[in-house]
Amino acid sequence: MIQTESAAAFRGPAHVRNFCIIAHIDHGKTTLSDRLLEFTKTIGQREMEDQMLDAMDLERERGITIKMHPVTLTYTAHDGETYELNFIDTPGHVDFSSEVSRSLAACEGALLVIDAAQGIEAQTLANYHLALAQNLTIIPVINKIDLPAADVPRVKAEIEELLVIEADEAITASAKEGIGIEEILEAIVTRVPPPTGSEDKLRGLVFDAQFDSYRGVVAYIRIVDGELKAGSRFMSMAHRRVYEATEVGVFKPEMRKTGSLGVGNVGYVIANIKSLGDMDVGDTITLADDPAAEALPGYKPIVPMVYCGLYPNEGVEVSELRDALEKLSLNDSALHFEPESSIALGFGFRCGFLGLLHMEIVQERLERNYNLDLIATSPSVGFRVTMTDGHVDTIDNPAKLPARDKIALIEEPYVKATVITPPEYVGTIMELTQNKRGALGNMEYLHDGRVILTYEIPLIEVIVDYFDQLKSRTKGYASLDYEVIGYREGDLVKLEIMLNGEPVDALSFIIAREKAQSRGRALTEKLKELIPRQMFDVPIQAAIGGKIVARETVTAMRKNVLAKCYGGDITRKRKLLEKQKVGKERMKRVGRVDLPQEAFMAVLRLDEP
Amino acid sequence: MCPYCDFAKWAWDDARASRYLDALRAEMSSVPAVSARTLFFGGGTPSMYTPEIIGSLIADVRARFDLPADAEVTAEANPDPLLAARISGLSAAGVNRLSIGVQSFDPRELRVLGRRHTGADVERAVGAAREAGYANVSIDLIFAVPGQTEASWAASLDAAIALGVVHVSCYGLTIEEGTPYATWFARDPSAFADESREAAMYSLAIERLRAAGFEHYEISNWAKPGFRSQHNQLYWANESYLGLGVGAASYLGGVRSTHTRDLEAYCGAALAGEPIPGESERLEGAAQAGEAIMLALRTAEGVDLERFRERYGIDVHERYRKVVGDLVAAGVLVADGAGLRLTERGRFVANDVCGAFLAD
Repeated sequence: MIQTESAAAFRGPAHVRNFCIIAHIDHGKTTLSDRLLEFTKTIGQREMEDQMLDAMDLERERGITIKMHPVTLTYTAHDGETYELNFIDTPGHVDFSSEVSRSLAACEGALLVIDAAQGIEAQTLANYHLALAQNLTIIPVINKIDLPAADVPRVKAEIEELLVIEADEAITASAKEGIGIEEILEAIVTRVPPPTGSEDKLRGLVFDAQFDSYRGVVAYIRIVDGELKAGSRFMSMAHRRVYEATEVGVFKPEMRKTGSLGVGNVGYVIANIKSLGDMDVGDTITLADDPAAEALPGYKPIVPMVYCGLYPNEGVEVSELRDALEKLSLNDSALHFEPESSIALGFGFRCGFLGLLHMEIVQERLERNYNLDLIATSPSVGFRVTMTDGHVDTIDNPAKLPARDKIALIEEPYVKATVITPPEYVGTIMELTQNKRGALGNMEYLHDGRVILTYEIPLIEVIVDYFDQLKSRTKGYASLDYEVIGYREGDLVKLEIMLNGEPVDALSFIIAREKAQSRGRALTEKLKELIPRQMFDVPIQAAIGGKIVARETVTAMRKNVLAKCYGGDITRKRKLLEKQKVGKERMKRVGRVDLPQEAFMAVLRLDEP
Repeated sequence: MCPYCDFAKWAWDDARASRYLDALRAEMSSVPAVSARTLFFGGGTPSMYTPEIIGSLIADVRARFDLPADAEVTAEANPDPLLAARISGLSAAGVNRLSIGVQSFDPRELRVLGRRHTGADVERAVGAAREAGYANVSIDLIFAVPGQTEASWAASLDAAIALGVVHVSCYGLTIEEGTPYATWFARDPSAFADESREAAMYSLAIERLRAAGFEHYEISNWAKPGFRSQHNQLYWANESYLGLGVGAASYLGGVRSTHTRDLEAYCGAALAGEPIPGESERLEGAAQAGEAIMLALRTAEGVDLERFRERYGIDVHERYRKVVGDLVAAGVLVADGAGLRLTERGRFVANDVCGAFLAD
């Protein structure tokens, strides 16, 4: 064991390959990862569990990875030499493309996995472009060739057409059946260039970090230049903070001490760092006493794209929510939160996320792992508002939008969306896109008859049920990817919902003027269905700039009374009323109205009229 | 037997009847000799025993529980054709108040309710009661019966008023779990009156009975002045009571307990002098006060501020400030120097009002 450790530590760059796997969701990335681990005996069959790289339950349920768990594979190639293959996993969802970029930055090569039956999808293209931008060697892998619907010639044609890669460079494989695994490993050794770097001043890329409650931050690093030894003092170049490396090592896949990491190595460093905020992912580390002149390129602080308010429901303390958010953020540097208060919901937090999926994952974790009953307000984006006095502010909470007469200009984030679809759905996608204020940019026919549509569309429209609608309108055949391209002016208004005459800040949102009225009408109707009858009439109104545009009424409950209550009934009747009361307590009291949680979700779930 | 009723019930036979009587007497002699203010024979059982037997039980109760000579003694009775003949016997036995389970005067509704009597039987029974000198006769009616219309309900109310009884109880049909009605409801909920029709029928009862000079003194009870049920008012005032017999409930020393509904289990234990199997629960503090409010709010007088302060050490205005404020604003509660009362609207949604005071 000692030998293995020192061998790993001192294997020179010529015997190191750093690679990652990128793929559209469900194209088999995880299964392929498992096979590579198995084939190189990095972990035994018995430890395999299934899909061990996707360790977190939630991610496993959703079939995605959001965290990178690097692992070092030892592989003896056909040339008789033994290589250290550092495999860096990447998240598989569009929300996490910034994480994908960082993983890619730590590699020289990428396996691009394509499903033999489905062909190239939107995320295949997006990931491919990210990898190209990092100058990675790309090895296309046509996976799932065992499927009856597999069509290898078609996928090869797509690879030539869309990726401009010679089709004979693609490896055909079935991770499930174990076909093509050795060929893939050989290709990694022969095609991916070994890392190059100078032996001079240390520069290491922090491509991820985890928080361990006993040891503090565990930073995942790729050494580009120089060497990092245990005991040396190093510095984070973004924050100029100095730490002492108490432990350095590699992933086998569990963490194993090596004493040092050299050029091209991928491993970890532990240095008594108290918080993830002190060690930004994307940062460069260098030796404190002999620092490099320049940091590695590509460091960008993470900017949340989607926001929502999270509030404790009745019976949950706001401090419990704060503790849970703090604990979660230890391991999720993309999660931002700050206290806010709502007239309707009391004290809570405005949280920033990478995207909708990230938001859902965080909410589910809070509810499941921390057992918190929460209310989430409708998601929003950061609107850039220029006031009449020239002041510019980013508004991530609709309740904070200043009065109309104080606003000179509202701009909203736009994305460039790419959709790949069978041709019969082009019409419905164009209609959907138009409903969502999108503008078609380009339309391209693929070899196999499918169509690639690209268009520009406001991000707020994408986060409000665009993906669900796209999937349902195309029976699941269309795939989507998007990237933020900047801010554009929009004709936007605040739509307010009032219950019993009182505005409910948690139900208000910013929306395009052209859609505000029909949205208001649909929302009041939906709320009428969701709000149970109360002891009194509850008017529901939608207003734009103080003008009522829609109105519904939940009529008062007519009768709810126990007929008999005599000596023999009292205990039973009391328990019955207690039960009714518990049902009510699961609701949120806003003014005098009891609102079920779903009411707050209605804004989000409402189908486009 | 009634398809809507979930009381303890059993088929009659003479051997069982006499064994049950022995068990009842055995239990009576084994319980603490509390002093009683009223006596109530409930359920269908009193109709099944002869007036002489009822009389001997009353005598036993008077002797053991110090029941005053002028105490209210009520017997529930079904208005079957035999009732008229029994009435003078019951009077002689010491029963001074009759509560007759009429339910409806409409033959079709009676059939739906599984009752064998007719409107004519009721008239005969009430006539016989009057002849026997009964001043205090109450009848029960049910509304929101499948097939009932507002017109047929109004007709039943009018018939009750015309009989000249001094007390009427009107109960909205409650579908109890495990009864044939529950099965029916699960299969065909549309056969049953919805909430707003039920509310309309309740309104109708309130109007008609008020016009006829009745006081609406509890959610489901109306009485001519001076004829409220003394016995039932003790329940709503959260006073103690002692229940004897199968399925009977007691509230003694802050403990609510209920006997088993299993006739054999009851008789076996009572005759052997063992504790009667059943359930019990002790309430204290906020839970007890909440229950007391739930009961008191059912009555026209509601929660008496002073009495509550004395008995539970609670100022209801202070303790329930937020709850009271919301309920008053919703128009379902009156809060003043005397205490808390339901508004007329509040009587329709009493569950929501009372529930708000229950402890968490």
